[in-house]
Amino acid sequence: MELKEILDEKIIDLELEGTTKDEALRNLSKRLLQAGYISDVDQFVKDIYVREAEGPTGMGHKISIPHGKSSAVRKIGIAIGRCVQDVKWESCMSEDGYQDTNIIFLFCVSDDNNFAENHMKLLADLAGKLGNDNRVRKLQEVTSKSELIDVIINDSACVAEGEKTSDQEEETIEELDIDLI
Amino acid sequence: MKIIGITACTAGIAHTYIVAEKIQQAATEAGHECKIETQGTIGAQNELTPEDIKAADVVILAHDIAVGGVERFKGKPVVDIPISVAMKSPKSLIATIEKKLGKK
Repeated sequence: MELKEILDEKIIDLELEGTTKDEALRNLSKRLLQAGYISDVDQFVKDIYVREAEGPTGMGHKISIPHGKSSAVRKIGIAIGRCVQDVKWESCMSEDGYQDTNIIFLFCVSDDNNFAENHMKLLADLAGKLGNDNRVRKLQEVTSKSELIDVIINDSACVAEGEKTSDQEEETIEELDIDLI
Repeated sequence: MKIIGITACTAGIAHTYIVAEKIQQAATEAGHECKIETQGTIGAQNELTPEDIKAADVVILAHDIAVGGVERFKGKPVVDIPISVAMKSPKSLIATIEKKLGKK
């Protein structure tokens, strides 16, 4: 099984409506419901907020990665929404603790750890791909679902050979202890 | 340098893997060898071998929950940080380690 098999166009919305994080999350979750990934929007969103309460899921570059585990999940997958308008999202990447988000990767994961382990491995691979700054920048430019999937799957679509992955300014680490253990 | 490390976040679904990738890239771009073990909800992947550990100059532990197998790194220089630090500043992390250890 490959990554592209869990990237399902039915749960991608390039014109996600919503003026708040909650509205955007609910609208994206409705797609998961319609496509048979979850059995209950309210329960699923509630479980997403359990994880949200543990720490911010905004990851910079206007991208957020909410990812609760829920008993409402019937099928593991990842819903992707590009918001029509930016929504405010908790983030560890900015000083005030918030960022503007316009792309949401909503991880749809069962609370049963033994559930579809091979799918979980693919979701882990997908998460790793979001660690590439060039890729997440490219995501902002896509115009179709197939292009979006291509940017996620193909490393060659987002990193030219020899090109540095990021020249973005980042916060300097002032204090760092290195200890022998 | 040879850099090794472990990432582990609360849910073990997303940050563990994103941060592993970020550290890997920052280290590789700075000309280091790097291998990061992920300890997520699906267990440990890309596991560090005794050879990896023996050859390593530094160990990065980027985590929000306890990581398993820390005793493997006995006698090694270890950087112990919350996962958000590596998420935010992977390059600065590598640069600061270079400076502190006086190695390129």
